[in-house]
Amino acid sequence: MHPKRHLLLVTLSALMFVAASSPTHTQVADPTDAFFDGSVLHDVKLWINSRDWETLKTNFLSNAYYPADLQWNTETIRNVGIRSRGNGSRSGFKPGLRVDIDRYASTQKFLGLKSFVLRNNTQDPSEMHEWLSMLFFKRMGLPAPREAYARLFVNNQYVGLYTIVESVDKSFLTRTFGEDSGYLFDYDYPADAAPYYFEDRGRDPAIYVPLPFKPETHENDARPEVIANMVQAINASSGAVFRGAVAEFIDLGQFIRHVASEVYLAEQDGVVGEWGMNNFFMYRPEFSNLFRLIVWDKSQAFVMGQAYPVWHNITDVPEANRNRLLNRALEYPDLRALYLDTLLEAGRVASEVPPDALPGDTRGWLEREIDRAYTLIAPSVLADPLKPYTNDEFVASVEALRVFARERTSFVNADVASSR
Amino acid sequence: MLSGVFAGLLTLLPPGLFSPPAPVRQAPVAQQAPTPRAPARDIEFRWRDHPQVRNGRLFRVDFVGKFQWDARDPGDDPSDFDNFEIHRARIGIEGELFNRVQFAIERELTEREVENPNPGVNEKSAWKDVYVDANISDALQVRAGKFKIPFGLEQLTGISNLDFVYRSLSASYLAPARDVGVALHGRFFDRGLTYWAGWFVHDGDNARSSTIDGADDTLAVRVTGTPLRSIPGLAKTELGGAFTVSDLDNVSVDPNGLRGRTVMSQFVFYPPVFVKGHRRRYEIDGDWSFGPVGARAEYTQVLDSREGQGLADQDLSDARGRAWYVSGTWVLTGEEKERPVRPSRKFGAIEAAARYERLWFDSAGGEGPPLRNPRADNMLPSGEHVLSLGINWYITRWVKLQFDTIREEPQDPERSPVPPGEAFWSPVFRFQVGI
Repeated sequence: MHPKRHLLLVTLSALMFVAASSPTHTQVADPTDAFFDGSVLHDVKLWINSRDWETLKTNFLSNAYYPADLQWNTETIRNVGIRSRGNGSRSGFKPGLRVDIDRYASTQKFLGLKSFVLRNNTQDPSEMHEWLSMLFFKRMGLPAPREAYARLFVNNQYVGLYTIVESVDKSFLTRTFGEDSGYLFDYDYPADAAPYYFEDRGRDPAIYVPLPFKPETHENDARPEVIANMVQAINASSGAVFRGAVAEFIDLGQFIRHVASEVYLAEQDGVVGEWGMNNFFMYRPEFSNLFRLIVWDKSQAFVMGQAYPVWHNITDVPEANRNRLLNRALEYPDLRALYLDTLLEAGRVASEVPPDALPGDTRGWLEREIDRAYTLIAPSVLADPLKPYTNDEFVASVEALRVFARERTSFVNADVASSR
Repeated sequence: MLSGVFAGLLTLLPPGLFSPPAPVRQAPVAQQAPTPRAPARDIEFRWRDHPQVRNGRLFRVDFVGKFQWDARDPGDDPSDFDNFEIHRARIGIEGELFNRVQFAIERELTEREVENPNPGVNEKSAWKDVYVDANISDALQVRAGKFKIPFGLEQLTGISNLDFVYRSLSASYLAPARDVGVALHGRFFDRGLTYWAGWFVHDGDNARSSTIDGADDTLAVRVTGTPLRSIPGLAKTELGGAFTVSDLDNVSVDPNGLRGRTVMSQFVFYPPVFVKGHRRRYEIDGDWSFGPVGARAEYTQVLDSREGQGLADQDLSDARGRAWYVSGTWVLTGEEKERPVRPSRKFGAIEAAARYERLWFDSAGGEGPPLRNPRADNMLPSGEHVLSLGINWYITRWVKLQFDTIREEPQDPERSPVPPGEAFWSPVFRFQVGI
């Protein structure tokens, strides 16, 4: 080999080794980060046969899928499936949408995602309840889906402001828990079902799975007996062994922090909501029975106002309407203290003024997020042709949120102090 | 009453085991009431191929019944599947008036397809053949009512005379089957050439379901001939071809295309796609027999136009369904291959049968990568290859036992009831009585 050629090869090899060893080469950015970047307003475009779009809106109560092409930034993905979604938010004017990337091709993904939700926010004139709540849960160190605002265009026509919501699926589990081989259940509360408070409905696992606990993984072998056993432990174990028995099935500390965070947000449709439990997922690893809660759908947060009592639906309702798990757990002084401490922590998190705040700017974190979101979405909301409320209602609703942000912590702190 | 039923059942048993079914001639009315000019004098009851009442050439009524009971075990293990079922139980009459008008009325008493999960929506009628046929001449006859649209050799073969338990996939999913309409038909050259041409309200029961409307206004033409009958060994060769064209609307919000399903479990490996415009069916077939051996082959193609069905409301390439089969039979006991085989031995006749077929769907062209969605311009093909091996035991002219084992190999791994790349076997046993 010619000496010059030899030298060239050695040099190239050395360069390749250095390049392969450099930190930038080994770091893998999450491709979904940009899609869920909440600091920008996204444009999401769907291309769908005009008749299908009309049919989807007409039959908005149906879960029928329709084929569509999806465009976001420079990414275009064909062959996705969309359907109407939601419970109370279902709309024939401004339909909430589930986008299934793999509907017609099981291996197809978009930035690694198999699906996501386009939330229509029809129950929330501020369009911020969901967005703020998920940010808040994450600041509280609790697992929550990522979200971002988007203007949705269907066949090049603007149809309104939507919230992109990360699906709670295997991708979410991997990102959040580092693995996805366990058992995920969606608490699926049918509108016509009797409210459920974790009371003992029997030992038969079929009472609990697939409703109200709907398997989202291991659909054909969901091990429903674990949930049945958990309900038995909650209800049948004596006071002396309750905590140990339940500790096998649920992370009590995480459960109480989850409930306290919801209560701080004055959520009326959560774990201790007005109609029994609602709006959460439960996940346990494959070789453990220990469930953790994952928050979902906070469109009804904030609506009860800043004076929402911290013991509402916990101690101020008849025994039959009390959540068995929460109420038994709160009989333990340390867990009761954890509940109250978490409420105080929530207040600090929501009211925290950043160190780089301008002098005189006393707005806390929550109020700043409201203002940031307003700046981001207001023009798009005002131009939203299909929202089921007026522009004045939007502005008033945002202002009510600001009041909530300013006053909620004081109410909570006072309630907690009187509970000590 | 019971003795009459017993006597009737005895006639179904093999000839030779008991006395052959002598024609049961009704006692002439004249013997009971000796009035020489009584009009009922020539009414008689016979049992040849069917129980029959006739009065010379004035009228004839045949009583027909078809019963099929199946025991089956689909290899793809569908849930909620009945391994035992009465597949068909039909009764009816056929006949002729004045040697000029034929008629048929047949009703299904139980059949899976009749049990519609959405009552009132595209319900299939339990009435099968309900028609009259005016015989003007050999070359010109007119049939009106509900009957099979003249398309597809296998589909036009009666259910009692099938070589296999199940019809071919092309007959089940591409051929139209029955509908209400009117048709001209006739024959020339001593049946050397026959034709059918008709108009029908829709495009047959096979194109419809509780969620699929099917097509409308169907024109159908079928021609068959025996052009080789002067050649020894090929005398019983019939060649045929058919064409239909129908209007396809998209009034329904659901896709209105054809679907593909597996043979036994009826797993949908190709859901219907959105279509609009016209549906065109083409088919050619051949049927040959020589002594105890018989063979059949058929090729069918269906093209559905898709006007304005794209995601941007643009026209798409035609949706296409295609199918072919080749089948062969051999009557091991030596009887002539007929449908049905007429046993000449005490224990009946034994026949071996084999069929290989393919049904698949795609688009006739289209741009972009092939996709599975029902509005894709270039549709990813989906279909299956099927091998059927069978033994038919003709105990009598009327009683038949069939055992088939069917191997199915789906084409698209994502639209398959079994793991990718796998095939599955499904055995089925059928007990059939057809009078």
